[in-house]
Amino acid sequence: MGAQQRVYKQRIRSAQGMKKIFKAQEMIAASRISKAHARVLATTPYADAITRAIGSVATHSDEVAHPFLQAERSISGRSGILLITADRGMAGAYSPNAIRAAEQLANTLRDQGKEPVMYVVGRKGDSYYRFRDRAPHRSWTPYKEHELPDLGREIAAVVTEELLTEDLDRHIDELFVVGHRFETRFVQQTRSTRLVPLGLVEAETAEAAPTFPLYAFTPDADTVLEELIPRYVEARIINILLQSMASEHASRQRAMKTATDNAETQIDKFTRLANTARQAEITQEITEIVGGANALAGSGRTER
Amino acid sequence: MSSLEVTFVTADRTVWTGQAAQVVVPAADGSMGILPQMQPTLAVLERGLVRIIDESGQATERSVVGGFVSVDTDVVTIAVDDAELAPSDL
Repeated sequence: MGAQQRVYKQRIRSAQGMKKIFKAQEMIAASRISKAHARVLATTPYADAITRAIGSVATHSDEVAHPFLQAERSISGRSGILLITADRGMAGAYSPNAIRAAEQLANTLRDQGKEPVMYVVGRKGDSYYRFRDRAPHRSWTPYKEHELPDLGREIAAVVTEELLTEDLDRHIDELFVVGHRFETRFVQQTRSTRLVPLGLVEAETAEAAPTFPLYAFTPDADTVLEELIPRYVEARIINILLQSMASEHASRQRAMKTATDNAETQIDKFTRLANTARQAEITQEITEIVGGANALAGSGRTER
Repeated sequence: MSSLEVTFVTADRTVWTGQAAQVVVPAADGSMGILPQMQPTLAVLERGLVRIIDESGQATERSVVGGFVSVDTDVVTIAVDDAELAPSDL
């Protein structure tokens, strides 16, 4: 067998091997999307309940004040950005999209004279910043999928502490979250949202006019708010983490589908080339034999 | 008499939903009973037992760790960090 043919056979074999890996990854991701999505949906009733409760406290009691509700709370000029990326690759543009959105946000903040402080979830984002010698302020990696709610609680505890601290070197004025929003298994969007200060104006318009009942607060409005707001932040962070996880699986499934298709085209292409090479080799051999026979015949020799 | 429409959720799942005659929750300043026609209330919860008594008088209990309850025209929403079957039910 000729050298050319051997090279093509080799390529075909490696493409076949990769195709198997891509196919397996695709199927794993596909099976995990629905589970991850179910987890997102499971947190919705709680999130709804807490959003409604906060809305009613904040709109009905003029005297309540909470540090997270003040629109203007710049003390240190530092803004926190919580970036959610994947731990592993093979997910297409999932992590790069999130990182790009975070970088854009950071640039906008720098233009406004604020100093961005990065909190990163996932190895991809962490290594992106480390490689550029701008190590994130905090990073959580690697993480496990079934431990996301616990991770969310831990993150919420850390950021709440730094949002409230008096220490100017650690205090952050605002908190943004950059993650993915899972709409369907075909559509996911990168989203940057501001979590703190809370946008109560949005809540009011979103829930429109229907008047909230005049609540009685137990023990009192301030205590209730103090208890509710950290929970709200926590619930939002967990929700975004879960949505991002579902988006990661969806993104990986799509990327792996493309990779599988691509491996197939490669296999087809190299099979054709290998066939051509084999045919060329055969043709050449025949030509050589015929040429040799003719040469012998022309020389007038009858014996070999 | 009207009944309460109860939704009992934790951070990651729904524990119990349905109609109930009475709900008892561990509010921050002491155990609080909720009956139909109660004034709208928003209360912080402590560690303790949530008892839901449905219309047939059957009681379910869960031990909870922190959260809040909102009551609004007979719609009761209990949202807690963690809920487990009460020891007496096990």
